[in-house]
Amino acid sequence: MRLATKFILIVAGILSVTLALNAYFFLHSQNRILEQQLTERGRVLGHLIALISPEAILGLDFLTLNEYAREVSRQRDVVYGVIVDNDDRPLTSYVNGNDPLIRTSLGVDGPAPDHLPPPRLQTLIQQLAHLPDVIPTEFPILHDGRLLGRLRVGISREVLATQAREQLVQQFGIYAAIILFLSAAIYLVFKYSVMRPVQRLMEVSQDLGRGEFTLIPVTSGDELGRLGETFNAMTHAIQREQAKLHYQANYDALTAQPNRMLAVERLQQEIRSAHRQQQRFALMFIDLDDFKIVNDTMGHAVGDRLLAHVSTHIRARLRDEDTLARLGGDEFLVLLPRIGQASDARDVAGRLLEAVSEPVALDGREVVVHCSIGIALYPEDGETVEALMANADNAMYQAKKPGRTPVCFFTAEMNAQVRERLQLEQDLNKVLARGELQLAFQPIFRADDGAYVGAEALLRWRHPEQGFISPATFIPLAESTGQIVAIGEWVLREAGRQLRRWLDAGLAPGYVAVNLSRVQLREDLEQLIGAVLDDNALPPHALELEITENILLDDHQQINAVLGRLHAQGLRFSLDDFGTGYSSLSYLRRFSFDTLKIDRSFVAPLCEDAEAAALVRAIVAMAHSLSLKVIAEGVETRAQLGFLQGLGCDYLQGYLLSRPLDTDHFTAFLTRLACESAPWGDCPLALTDG
Amino acid sequence: MTDVTNGVAAVRRLRSDEHCAGGDPVRRRVVLGLLATLGLTLAEQSIPAARAADAPLVMGIFPRRQATLTTELYAPLAAYLTRELGREVRLVTAKDFDAFWDGVEQRRFDIVHYNQFHYVRSADKYRVIAHNEEFGTGTVAGALYVRKDSGINSIAQLRGRKIVFGGGTDAMMSYILPSYLLLQAGLQPADYETVFSKNPPNSLISLYHGQADASGAGDILIDLPVVRDAMDTSTVTHLGMTERVLHLPWAVRKDMPQALGARIQTLLVGLQAREDGRAILARAEMTGFGAARDADYDPHRRIIHKVMPAIDIPR
Repeated sequence: MRLATKFILIVAGILSVTLALNAYFFLHSQNRILEQQLTERGRVLGHLIALISPEAILGLDFLTLNEYAREVSRQRDVVYGVIVDNDDRPLTSYVNGNDPLIRTSLGVDGPAPDHLPPPRLQTLIQQLAHLPDVIPTEFPILHDGRLLGRLRVGISREVLATQAREQLVQQFGIYAAIILFLSAAIYLVFKYSVMRPVQRLMEVSQDLGRGEFTLIPVTSGDELGRLGETFNAMTHAIQREQAKLHYQANYDALTAQPNRMLAVERLQQEIRSAHRQQQRFALMFIDLDDFKIVNDTMGHAVGDRLLAHVSTHIRARLRDEDTLARLGGDEFLVLLPRIGQASDARDVAGRLLEAVSEPVALDGREVVVHCSIGIALYPEDGETVEALMANADNAMYQAKKPGRTPVCFFTAEMNAQVRERLQLEQDLNKVLARGELQLAFQPIFRADDGAYVGAEALLRWRHPEQGFISPATFIPLAESTGQIVAIGEWVLREAGRQLRRWLDAGLAPGYVAVNLSRVQLREDLEQLIGAVLDDNALPPHALELEITENILLDDHQQINAVLGRLHAQGLRFSLDDFGTGYSSLSYLRRFSFDTLKIDRSFVAPLCEDAEAAALVRAIVAMAHSLSLKVIAEGVETRAQLGFLQGLGCDYLQGYLLSRPLDTDHFTAFLTRLACESAPWGDCPLALTDG
Repeated sequence: MTDVTNGVAAVRRLRSDEHCAGGDPVRRRVVLGLLATLGLTLAEQSIPAARAADAPLVMGIFPRRQATLTTELYAPLAAYLTRELGREVRLVTAKDFDAFWDGVEQRRFDIVHYNQFHYVRSADKYRVIAHNEEFGTGTVAGALYVRKDSGINSIAQLRGRKIVFGGGTDAMMSYILPSYLLLQAGLQPADYETVFSKNPPNSLISLYHGQADASGAGDILIDLPVVRDAMDTSTVTHLGMTERVLHLPWAVRKDMPQALGARIQTLLVGLQAREDGRAILARAEMTGFGAARDADYDPHRRIIHKVMPAIDIPR
């Protein structure tokens, strides 16, 4: 049912009930008043007759009494007027034979007799007095305090009822007209004042639902007008919020450039457009090189400002129709519509490299960052969003590789490499279950006397199809997928078990150094190491944990706490690959390292490069000044050996002394070592060959 | 009573005239007749000349009906007499019988109409000239009525009962005659309870309404329209009736000239023969006038004396 119909029905109902109640009370009160008037008239008449009747009664003047009765009976609305004695016997005989009630009571059709015998009159009065249309009244006739008789008067309500009926009909007619008029008027007012604005409001609401922001014309200051104003304000607010949401959903707050979602949308549009117009476009993925270092060294706020600057620089080098989007972190996307040749994209990429490399002044320091750019072309390198983005990403990944140019176009080979990498990731998931991992141990010798002190555990993956896979290949992969946690745990447990086997075999394995990934440096590392030591009944110093400098770039507070607690338990730590990363002397002072391992890249040119030799010498001197032992990795020649000994290096490790050995060979090495106790200087190569 | 001052002097004059005409009754009657004839003759000749100068004649009607009704009933008769006599006849009545009787006692009326008892008691002042004829008869009888369902079949059964009489003790037909009837049946007034209604019709209506065991009234009462309209007369019956006596009298002052009295008598008695006279009679609820003389009321005197032995009855 429509609101207007419902409203008008309610109004009509309320009006009807109100007017009906009004009519009822009006008629009721009017009837009461009329009845009172009737009764009063009868009372006045009765009292008058009762007043003058004693003379006639006492004088037995029945003719006069009859005259009285006649006068009373002939009064309007009086059915009968009879004077009775104390025994209720009528003293008069007159009745109004024309009265319909009397005719009915007497059962005659025509005029009734005007006089009735007392018994019949008495019965007639009793009958009439009981009629609902008759109000029976009586008035005592007194003389000198003595009751002589009573005047009985019956007053008819018939006229009253007729008047009431006529009044009711009249009232009903008037009220019906009022209800009709008011209902029609209210309906029209409601329709034009309420329903029309409400209808307009509904239409505008539907527009709003469709995303059309239509405003309501406000023409009044009443509640509906205010509702319209409120609705308009709401529309404006929704419009603003929608724009804001749209911006937030599609734009990067930091750079004010489109985000990944909008970039994808535009890429889809561009694909459709290029498809229709048979045009080519280029998609670039830009990733800043070593941006993490800026964040870590200068703080995230500075990093964010750098990103904003870089974004501004890139945008300045692009056309208006080009799209620059920030995909996240330090990764950007550039969409170059309508390019002619691939070289055009290369030119743009070159300009972007320059733009990114522009120095940026941050916190009083000049910061320079570089980037790598991967480019995919439509339609050669893909015709879908997913393909183009994956391929540009692959190209960028290739550009990131050391030794590659910072701008790299996608090639089909890259996909093969990606597929290979994906396969490797899948295989890596099963590596523990299949038991394809193995540990190799490379001995570490004391530099001054060649004594064996321990070994570094090195992880080996023997793939059933691809054969030996280098840790340099699968460790980063495992770190990126998180599998390094399980693999690292296996390495620790396996190293512990092997140590226990060797010790149980009466051999002297020394300590075993195990490399830790940054991913492993978690709260549960202590628990794991504790379990390894307990399970194999090993002393803490049987294990040495090797960590790289890069690990320390992370949350050093937490790492220092973990490492500090392990160190306090007796475990030893060595800083691996020292010099290859962001070597900071403050790390050495802050963390409780026992040993510093000089990377092979410094040892290799030691004898030919004076600067390298000076650097190694400085490292050794600095380490010793910090009470750290120094291990030189990658010792491969006797000249290196001699030079390092000359520098006072504490321990040596390298192919010259021993290659990494599998368990069996290392067991044999330890066995032989136990038998011979020969210094390394005499037979190191023989050992490794064996 | 309606006072007529002009008439008083005339009445006094007439009274003195009446006294002059005293003597033997027979002789007096003859003389009176002659005088009347002479008077009428002379009057017929002399009246036209004297009419203008004569004082009006006062015609008093006893208040057995309401004054207005009385006036309505008898105004045509007064007008008739005025016209015929060539002298104004002024109609008067009284508010009640006492007042009326006082008028009679004071002889304020030249012509008077009252009941037989009144005449008998005022016969020394007035002389009867005519009597009523109602329902075609000039006599009436007293009667006792009872309700048919009362179980009373004889007057003797009224002993100890309540009897309603019409008017009062001076009501000839409604009291004196019924009382006479009761006396004849051996019932003294102390043997029954006497009550009076306002007037004779009411006595019968009282009986009808059960206010008494018997009603004393004239025998023709039951046929009066006023009674028939007020009650169902078939429910009552006569228990007994007296002898018939002459009806209500019309009298003139005794001192009225005989000729005038005779003339009036002639005019009254002659009404029945006239077209307009019958209308006048009908209006007065009468059927005629009969000539009457004083002796015609001796039976009334006898009965009155029987019922009221202590009362003085003048002649």
